[in-house]
Amino acid sequence: MNGFIPALWAEALKARRSKVLPLTAAAACILPIVDGVFMFILKDPERAKSMGLINTKAQITAGVADWPTFFQVLLMGTAIAGAILFAFITAWVFGREHSDHTVKELLALPTRRETIVAAKLILIALWALCLTLLIFGLGLVIGTLVDIPGGSTGLIWDSFAMLLGIAVLTLMMMPFVALFASAGRGYLLPLGWAILTLAAAQIAGVLGWAEWFPWAVPGLLVSMNGEPIEPIPAHGLIVVLVAFLIGTLATFVWWRSADQSG
Amino acid sequence: MNPAIETHNLSKSYGNVHAVEGVSLRVERGEIYGFLGLNGAGKTTTIRALLGMIKPGAGWVKLLDEPIGPNGHGPWRQVGHLVERPTAYPELTVRENLEIARRLQGVPDRKATDRAIDRLGLNAYANRKAAGLSTGNRQRLGLARALLHEPELLILDEPASGLDPAGVVEIRKLLEQLTQERGMTVFMSSHILTEVDRLATRIGIIHQGHLLEELEYDKLQVLRARRLEVQTRDLQAAEETLTRAGYAVKTEESALYLSEERALEEPDTVATILVEAGLPPTRLVVTQENLEEYFLRLTGGTA
Repeated sequence: MNGFIPALWAEALKARRSKVLPLTAAAACILPIVDGVFMFILKDPERAKSMGLINTKAQITAGVADWPTFFQVLLMGTAIAGAILFAFITAWVFGREHSDHTVKELLALPTRRETIVAAKLILIALWALCLTLLIFGLGLVIGTLVDIPGGSTGLIWDSFAMLLGIAVLTLMMMPFVALFASAGRGYLLPLGWAILTLAAAQIAGVLGWAEWFPWAVPGLLVSMNGEPIEPIPAHGLIVVLVAFLIGTLATFVWWRSADQSG
Repeated sequence: MNPAIETHNLSKSYGNVHAVEGVSLRVERGEIYGFLGLNGAGKTTTIRALLGMIKPGAGWVKLLDEPIGPNGHGPWRQVGHLVERPTAYPELTVRENLEIARRLQGVPDRKATDRAIDRLGLNAYANRKAAGLSTGNRQRLGLARALLHEPELLILDEPASGLDPAGVVEIRKLLEQLTQERGMTVFMSSHILTEVDRLATRIGIIHQGHLLEELEYDKLQVLRARRLEVQTRDLQAAEETLTRAGYAVKTEESALYLSEERALEEPDTVATILVEAGLPPTRLVVTQENLEEYFLRLTGGTA
């Protein structure tokens, strides 16, 4: 794609210089830190008793202080918080062009609009995957420091694969956020959409329709109550793929043919 | 040679509002075309349509003989633009903003950024964040971005907006230099009519979405109304004297104005009448309305 590398370079520079990058990194760190705190509390029953409300929260969320539980909480947190965090990144990458009125500088250029959209989507993917690695890496460090029992190399790799799976499936829902950030010319609509789909995913999960609702599919990779994880059925992956393709195509079409007055 | 800009029956509506209706423009290569209109007349909508930022409801646009598609296709390597207020990524420096523009324009020469900074007098601000720039320097940054790739055609919406008087003169000289030395075509909208008056080789006037007039600067000179301005010590007596002599006289503030051809052709006769009446003129001069006055006369001065 002609001009893709310069477009990606431009997007990366904007991200590097923004406060959003450290902000999202800080937000991503919260998850393993809180998970580590829960493990720290639960590891010592006497300490747990003295912690009152925090202990109750730790008991409800985790229950036991071991590596499988630690990873389970990390995966669950990524499935929920990741959807919001990734949506925040996507809303910023696309919406800031409208809020800063810079979109008009991207329209009449030798670099095609499709190339710019592709560069933005790739940057979001790289950014989100880096945050996923940060969550996992920091989780490993914190888990080791807390010295929680029950770890193994196999468990680490399995959990890492699950975390990546959740991140990729969540990322595949981001083109819709990009579309709403573009069409809504800012941040409000995409973030509203992200919250709406997250809530709808919870309802779909409760009703047992998770595998038919693309926004609920990443959550299928998280074991609830220690139950073994069933592989995501093929139709679950297909609905995610279809949603990804529709969202991506709609975003490209919007940039290509909609009136731009930002 | 084909024109630099050509539109045919260009129309764009927003709901029931006809922003632009049936605008057919033709800007020849090497021209400086002044596009004039009151606020809301349709200038920016026309410029957005020229740059493929909006889809015309009807009609078509060609830039440098290439049709502008609704999908953003156009000869953008040869076109520089500045639409409405200049914008920049606030967290990036002036140099970084221009570096992004250079790469997206596909300009391989790394020195192009430095040249643009230098040309617009932004050296002192090159490493400052755009967020801290004054309106005038932001405008310079926008112009630097428009000129960075040395385009053949420059489309500018209010290029002098936000600039101080010295900046306005500087930009005028720069545009003059670019057209004279490189044969660049400039299409500019502006509300600073004195600047357009000094710079433009052709003028288009848009009013309520319609192109009212499009004419060469020389022809414009002919169309601008001329009148004889007379000042004397006693204006009222002079007005009575000239009216008795058969002239149609209009009094404005501290002068009398005569628009009739015979007064314009023979001002010495008017002077003689006044001298014989004991009212020698202290000032007697044929004046021509400026572009602003002509524009207001044509548009009625209302949006």
